[in-house]
Amino acid sequence: MNVKSIKKLLHRTETATVILLILMVAVIASLSGNFFEAYTIRSNIISWTPLILLAMGQSFVIIGGGLDLSNGPAMSLILCTLTAVMHADSDITGIKALFIGLLVALGIGVINGFVVGYLRVPALIATFATSYIWLGAALLVMPTPGGECVNWMRIFYDFQSVESLPEGLKQFGAVIPSGLILIIIGIIVWVVLSRKKFGRYLYAVGSDRDIAYQSGINSAKMQLLTYVINALFIYGCALFYAAQNQAGSARIGDPLTLQSVAAVVVGGVALSGGTGKVYMAAIGAVIMSLVNRLIYILELPAEYQVLVSGAIIILAITISTIYETTNAKAAEKREVN
Amino acid sequence: MVILEAKNIVKRFGGVTALSDGNIVCREGKITGLLGTNGSGKSTISKIITGVYLPDSGTITYYGQQVSFRNPIEAKKAGIIMAFQNLSLIPDLTVWQNVVLSFEKTKKGFLDNQSAKKITKELIDSFVEGFDIERKVVQLNSSEKQIVEIVKAISEEPKLLILDEPTAALEQAQAQALFKYMKKLAAQGTSIIFTSHRMNEIMEVCDDIVVFNNGHNVGSVDFEVDGRNQKEIVKMITGDIHTEDISHTRTENTKDIQLEIKNLQYENILHDIQFSVKKGEVLGIGGLQGQGQTELMLALAGNYKTLQAEVHLNKEKIRLNTPANTIRKGIFLVPGDRQTEGLMMKESIYHNMLMPKFALKRQPFFIPEKKYRKECEEIVKLLSIKTDSIDTKADNLSGGNQQKIVVGKWLPFDIKVLLLSDPAKGVDIGAKRDMYQFILKLAREKDISVILYASDNDELVRYCDNVLIMYEGSIVKRLSGDAINNVNITAASLNLTKEEEVEKDECKEH
Repeated sequence: MNVKSIKKLLHRTETATVILLILMVAVIASLSGNFFEAYTIRSNIISWTPLILLAMGQSFVIIGGGLDLSNGPAMSLILCTLTAVMHADSDITGIKALFIGLLVALGIGVINGFVVGYLRVPALIATFATSYIWLGAALLVMPTPGGECVNWMRIFYDFQSVESLPEGLKQFGAVIPSGLILIIIGIIVWVVLSRKKFGRYLYAVGSDRDIAYQSGINSAKMQLLTYVINALFIYGCALFYAAQNQAGSARIGDPLTLQSVAAVVVGGVALSGGTGKVYMAAIGAVIMSLVNRLIYILELPAEYQVLVSGAIIILAITISTIYETTNAKAAEKREVN
Repeated sequence: MVILEAKNIVKRFGGVTALSDGNIVCREGKITGLLGTNGSGKSTISKIITGVYLPDSGTITYYGQQVSFRNPIEAKKAGIIMAFQNLSLIPDLTVWQNVVLSFEKTKKGFLDNQSAKKITKELIDSFVEGFDIERKVVQLNSSEKQIVEIVKAISEEPKLLILDEPTAALEQAQAQALFKYMKKLAAQGTSIIFTSHRMNEIMEVCDDIVVFNNGHNVGSVDFEVDGRNQKEIVKMITGDIHTEDISHTRTENTKDIQLEIKNLQYENILHDIQFSVKKGEVLGIGGLQGQGQTELMLALAGNYKTLQAEVHLNKEKIRLNTPANTIRKGIFLVPGDRQTEGLMMKESIYHNMLMPKFALKRQPFFIPEKKYRKECEEIVKLLSIKTDSIDTKADNLSGGNQQKIVVGKWLPFDIKVLLLSDPAKGVDIGAKRDMYQFILKLAREKDISVILYASDNDELVRYCDNVLIMYEGSIVKRLSGDAINNVNITAASLNLTKEEEVEKDECKEH
């Protein structure tokens, strides 16, 4: 690798995120000692799963020029629906719950996408408003935490705890947590989509939806689609929670909204839309989870997690703005030379 | 063969009639020039043909069938493609991604990027050599963007191609390459509508022309039948405006030096620039596009913190480090891009004119609305800005009138140096002359020094007392008096050193 390609690498926004990831891992590993043990890695992946899923969904929306401030409450609503429909002693209610939950998720995605894409309400306002609709609906479904979950639903959390699974799969689950499978499915979806027209149009609409429209792209439909895809990620997250907690709560998703936005920003996805990668948002979510872990290790109250998320968003955006201006200046110089 | 015919098109926006009776005929393999002043309805009819606007009445026949495109997508599918002047490129996508946008080819369901790159490369190579198509559009300069815009339109293999002032942002050589390409397309049977404010281009490339004035056709000329008579055409465009040139007299300027610049240096962009400008003098800055002229204007207006220069304004040493500072000293910039830099498009004329006052002068507790409105109305009258009221939004004015507001809002201040960065770009002939005459008068009467960067050499020849030619960030030539003519300017712009009649003034060879 010559000097030029190293320089090129340094100018990529991904580099900053990866460096930050390595730094965070180094700090946590030195503080907690057993970080690289197989058991810790597995349990970490499990605890990071919800945020990674939400961040990936969020990044679709943000790359497409939108924003979703309702994904936390939306997750709660789907979760409450799932656990309210299920009865622990009737396996068939699990199927019913999966189906109804999916319908709720699609409804959430379509409503958000319709309001932002077709009615052209600014995404910030629109999803902030719908977040209260989801919250209200979740409280109607489940005023106090509760609900039940069928045992087989635990495949979304851990194969080992599903009684009816064959021994071989249980062994597999002891190594690979189900959350990782969900995440990998998400990344495969992204890789496939990014090589199709959808991927190109996603960036086009996120960069400038009016110009994209003039070029013959149905911008409104594209934005609707990003919210629907986002809703599917939220659905995956809700399945994970249902399986993990075996119960629902209308407020459990609230802190996740801000954290998912922070994760996307830390992952180098510009809030202005049109740039960034979905898998980088996943790395951003890992970094945010490590930050939360650090807060835990330092024995600070859990409320600090929300506080720090807010601060990180501002910090990350400030840094990326400075980064972009210096990059632009460097580009100008190159052009003159 | 007639490909498209638009008949009796009417379009109103609110109470304003943009088009009262628009007609145009496009024939197979012919290049039709669409002429007219700004606000004459020529962009409106282009936009109606491409489905951006719906006509209020009138018919469009395309290949013998009556059509009504509801949006640009439908028009595109039918083969009508427009290269927009306010570019339709996505900033965050690369050049080749933009060129194939919405026409992507796929291979087994995935995007075929190799063929997209190949097509783009081939097309762009016919305009400029060595163009890096992997760059994002946001990294390109304005002429490069214009090329990509045109290439994008061509790549979609239109049957009817509409080029809306494509040459405004192009350099001479690129424009020539474009004309060659247009002729090639026409020979293949493509019908082209071409708009431009530059008469020589129209004369060179068009087969026939249609002239618009005040929302309706005032004439059409088929060059093959009627011959090419430029004077006749100009008369049609300007209508009742007199066409003879009032070339200004270059009298000896014996006044004091107002602004003196020495050793101006800005990073790698501007090198070792020095010049002086007298009171009441109009100093032109010329040269090919992108040689540092825009940057020089921005530098003089105090936009670059790291600028190094020795600057004397009326013998007082000043610094050009912030815009606030230069404005306080009486140096005002009229930016080139009036829509993004000079005006708040959604605000009224009155509010646009009010803003500098709020920003720069101490205001009484209650704003003296009546007084300010009166002042504003006076300026509007003085500049003959065409509007029914000062509460009209800037958006709703024509380009020339918008530019007048940008100049006008500084008039109540004590202007010493007025920097004009290509003020007439996209402004029609009549409004252009109005504006320059006003500026000349202003300069002479109020002892204002005007530094004018113009991309059109005619403007330099016509209005400047002295002209500096820039090349790669330096001043390579100073022309004054009768030496200011098109030939000399062009020669100096290309930095042809064989030009021997070097002025003895502080001309610096690069």
